[in-house]
Amino acid sequence: MTASATVHPSPTRLKDKVPATGGPDPKAAVLKALNAARDLMDGYQGWAVDDLQALWQAFRETEAATERTVDDVRRMYDIAHEIRGQGGTFGFSLITVLGDSLCKFLDRRPSLDAADLDVVRIHITAMKAVFRQGLKGDGGQLASELPKLLLALRTRVDSRAKDGG
Amino acid sequence: MSGYDFQYLKVLLADDSRHIRALVGSFLRGFGVRFISEAADTETAFSEVVSFSPDLVIVDWHMPTTNGIELVKRIRRSPETPNPYVPIMMLTGYTEIFRVKEARDCGINAFLAKPVSANALYKRLIGVVDDQRPYVRSNEFFGPDRRANRSDDYGGADRRTARRAH
Repeated sequence: MTASATVHPSPTRLKDKVPATGGPDPKAAVLKALNAARDLMDGYQGWAVDDLQALWQAFRETEAATERTVDDVRRMYDIAHEIRGQGGTFGFSLITVLGDSLCKFLDRRPSLDAADLDVVRIHITAMKAVFRQGLKGDGGQLASELPKLLLALRTRVDSRAKDGG
Repeated sequence: MSGYDFQYLKVLLADDSRHIRALVGSFLRGFGVRFISEAADTETAFSEVVSFSPDLVIVDWHMPTTNGIELVKRIRRSPETPNPYVPIMMLTGYTEIFRVKEARDCGINAFLAKPVSANALYKRLIGVVDDQRPYVRSNEFFGPDRRANRSDDYGGADRRTARRAH
């Protein structure tokens, strides 16, 4: 069984709008872009604290709730997802590592028990520490070690759940 | 002066994070792009597609009021769209392989993962400009050919009963 399809060239050619010559060379273009964005990147830490505060607030409300729902999990996931994308973009790779781990932990989780909440708390506390100490850049050895440590933490909690412990 | 000249390119930047919009907008202006429109939600983004008629759309996945995937489908299929062939780059933190496939299958031209760097964005932009892939239209799909290295020299069986329009 085959699907009927037509294949045709696009009438839109970006090459007509963007000549391959006449602009700055690629290195100069990227450097200019980085310079243009410098102020924004320098200011990231200030406004990112608001996102982190929102995540902390969502966590505290979830923790205090008598019944924790998938909506609570989703709310934290959405904030963590934003933080994950923005951290490395604005020069804080460790924030992306932590955000990525937290997203993996929360993704498709129907609810959160006390041990799960501890995992969330550890991630948020670590993010706060990154900002407090201004750990910018690629994160060095910590960035290569941290994912393994976080994976071990998540695995331990998840296997406990599977074991019924 | 030996690089790509972006000064006539019109770019729509659709992302619900004003910080990401500001940063990516700064990158684009640094590359020489002068015409940039922004949208924080899919409804505004589609309105801008219609009124601003961009040459390139950069779209986030996670956005109110629907999401980036629905926006791409609407751009490709709505009769209101001035140019359903407009190149679309998805810029997102959703990097799982099934998400990448879902984005590809809704008709995007390029995928760029967050966190994004100026260098990565520049390279992806060049990739979109140089992209010569034909477009495929079927009942289920409209967008750039998902087989990235389609070759006219291919001698094997073509599983699609495709009509080539030259």
